[in-house]
Amino acid sequence: MLYNCDRLKNSRKNCFKFLPYRWNKPVIVLVVLGFSVLISAWTYYREAIPTGTYQFIYPANFGNRINVPDDNPTTKQGVYLGRMLFYEPRLSANNTISCGNCHQQQFAFTDNRPFSAGADGVETTRNSMSLANLLWARKFFWDGRAASLEEQAAIPLTNPHEMGQSLATSAKKLSTEPQYPPLFKAVYGDDTITGERICKAIAQFERTLISANSRYDQYLRKAYQPTAGELKGMELFNTGPQPEKGIRGANCAHCHGGVKTYLELFHNNGLDSIPKDNGIGALTGLPGDRGRFKVPTLRNIALTAPYMHDGRFKTLDEVLDHYSDHVVQSESLSTVFRGESNEVGGKTLKLSPQEKKEIIAFLNMLTDKDFITNPGFSDPNIRASKK
Amino acid sequence: MKKQLIIAFIAFTGLATSLIAQAQTAATVKVSGEVTTPLSLSLSDLHQYTQTTVVRKDKDGKDHTYSGVILADILQKAGVIMNRESLTKYLLVNASDGYEIIFALAELDKSFTDRAIILADTVDGKPLPQGDGPFRIIVQDEKKPARCIKQVTSLKVLFAK
Ligand code: HEC
Ligand code: HEC
Repeated sequence: MLYNCDRLKNSRKNCFKFLPYRWNKPVIVLVVLGFSVLISAWTYYREAIPTGTYQFIYPANFGNRINVPDDNPTTKQGVYLGRMLFYEPRLSANNTISCGNCHQQQFAFTDNRPFSAGADGVETTRNSMSLANLLWARKFFWDGRAASLEEQAAIPLTNPHEMGQSLATSAKKLSTEPQYPPLFKAVYGDDTITGERICKAIAQFERTLISANSRYDQYLRKAYQPTAGELKGMELFNTGPQPEKGIRGANCAHCHGGVKTYLELFHNNGLDSIPKDNGIGALTGLPGDRGRFKVPTLRNIALTAPYMHDGRFKTLDEVLDHYSDHVVQSESLSTVFRGESNEVGGKTLKLSPQEKKEIIAFLNMLTDKDFITNPGFSDPNIRASKK
Repeated sequence: MKKQLIIAFIAFTGLATSLIAQAQTAATVKVSGEVTTPLSLSLSDLHQYTQTTVVRKDKDGKDHTYSGVILADILQKAGVIMNRESLTKYLLVNASDGYEIIFALAELDKSFTDRAIILADTVDGKPLPQGDGPFRIIVQDEKKPARCIKQVTSLKVLFAK
């Protein structure tokens, strides 16, 4: 019972039920404990909310081309509110789903499924995307159709197969929750709750999701010495093959290069000759855009299986087999893959089994444990009930 | 009656397919930003402008002849005036794969340089290959090919803030 009392969200009622009961020792202990849970829950919300300008901390080699709209500067109170909203199931039609369902911190903010079920039980048509280092991104979604995080957030909130609730309803529901109006006041100056303000706060929180302490980052700042296999994998990753000169490579960096392993490019990487999902091609109608998708970041890639926009590959081995041996020709296939091979006259990359292993060893260097355990990114409700 | 229906049907499918064909092939370059007349240029629009050729070595190490329109001419059509203020302006060029590069407007100004920078649509007399075209910037004599941006979709004139 004590266990229940501690765990239940509405611990208030369940704990007070004991009062009119027999007034003996264990009950008093229970009551005292119940009160302490209550008080800690209370102080959690009352806890002085941090305020002031939010200072982004990231390594210099990430560059300063960050993307923060003028009308939504990042503040500590905004990030605090945004984090609560990111994990707020009341923003969904049946109060069951939050952004955090499809974007789980332990999986670098993916959900380890090919497709994710929304509030109506229907699955999304694309694979959930990792949310890391979005501070530098300018185009969002697999087809880049959203131009800002603010604009992006409104889409899952209202899509019937995701959270499925109008922004107006969300705003109304939050207005009746005692903790929210004062928080909106702290962030926006008055306690009016609107859809726009909800999206803005969520976007502020998302900008703080910076992943910059993988073994690769440590290597770049000379704090980690990679193994021989990792070094070989890194070299292959960064080198284009030139079989005439005896240079072997996989040229992944052409699209996934840079310290963030993200360049904001959109390509067809040869998954299908006639794609089921046309990606950017569905937006532009141009044959050259068919099956073109965002080149996603490879940060934390070992944690974000399954892979590609439709989650078709379960493992990194399958991904490497694809790039090495199964890239499919089509009108819109990226020119990077045309005639690029480690064999003279070869049609595909043709990596050796050993080389595939080495590249995967390098990809594993991109896992950032601090990112997936950072308490500032976790569900604040879990923190509250654990206290 | 039947005949009329068939004719109507044929006309309809003909129209529909031509519409679809159009929707699929109408690649354009948008010219926007600090311009008086925003443009959306198709291949045939581009062919109305004065054509210039530039010879450049490609990856294969051989010289190739590109033909197209001087960027400054396109900007002039869009109403961009080269003056003192334009010394702090730049042209942002975007490609369909998300790649982007910039030129300072002075780099495009004939009174500053003889180096030609063109928006090309043919190479050695043939349309640019898939993956490069339909529009590609060719920068005369620049050592690296990085600003010879392929699959150009937009040109935007902006102020350096
Ligand atoms: C039902 C699962 C689901 C829910 C709930 C969900 N997402 Fe997503 N998210 C996805 C999927 C699937 C994609 C890719 C969709 C596409 O490309 O069309 C995505 C993409 C994104 C992206 C784009 C990332 C990039 O690199 O371009 C962001 C940002 C994002 N979601 C944030 C959110 C936020 C914020 C919420 C809550 C308001 C949310 N998501 C709720 C499944 C979900
Ligand atoms: C021409 C650009 C290009 C090159 C070169 C390239 N990729 Fe990709 N990569 C992409 C695109 C585009 C996607 C997303 C495709 C999709 O989902 O339809 C992708 C997806 C991936 C994914 C899945 C990411 C996820 O979150 O699901 C992995 C892993 C990956 N690439 C690894 C590699 C490796 C390793 C190499 C080198 C052998 C490589 N890529 C070379 C463009 C490229």
